[in-house]
Amino acid sequence: MMVKVLYFASAQGLANLKSESMYLKEGSSVKDVAAEMLRLHPDLKSIEPTIRYSVNFEIAEEDAPLHDGDEVAVLPPVAGG
Amino acid sequence: MRSVRITRQAINPARVLASVGDNEAGGAVLFVGTIRRRSGGKTVEGLTYEVYRGMAERRMREIEARVRKKWPVVKIAMVHRYGRLKVGEVSVAVAISCEHRAEAFEACRYTIDTIKGTLPMWKKERFKGGSQTWVKGTPIED
Repeated sequence: MMVKVLYFASAQGLANLKSESMYLKEGSSVKDVAAEMLRLHPDLKSIEPTIRYSVNFEIAEEDAPLHDGDEVAVLPPVAGG
Repeated sequence: MRSVRITRQAINPARVLASVGDNEAGGAVLFVGTIRRRSGGKTVEGLTYEVYRGMAERRMREIEARVRKKWPVVKIAMVHRYGRLKVGEVSVAVAISCEHRAEAFEACRYTIDTIKGTLPMWKKERFKGGSQTWVKGTPIED
């Protein structure tokens, strides 16, 4: 399956890109995106413990299952307001 | 004007306040967040806000639903700006009208605190001399 991965703020700077398509095995979950992300962009290791993920605009835990076409976002600590 | 929105345009707090006016309300509270010149002892020229727009707008509507569950809100408006802002400019405005003032104060406080912790937004401080850093932030809350 293919998912779209979006990078924001410091994650975007460290990955040096805004978004990419990731090809994953059927049955993959958010933690598989995290592992692939670190393999492709090792610089993200420095902030990985602080990152949270969303799937289709909802915050998702590591074991959240993914489906073809999902939009996964890499969210560093937020600072609105 | 939609009452809950993310915008690149300058925010007019008077219009945000006016949008919650209602004959059923006995009071309205307006919070306006602005860009401060000093940060950690350094002089800031401005902030650049980044947003995950689709998710942020959805989350603002969720905040509205939560606030309406907790307090008898007559009308609520929240507007957050993104892009490049200068010192003194308005980054966020929240206005809430209720039958009584105590509820309006509490609901407005809760709304701005929740905006800060739950919206997928980030800001970069631009310092005098050209350096820039992301503001540290907190892990996004559910």
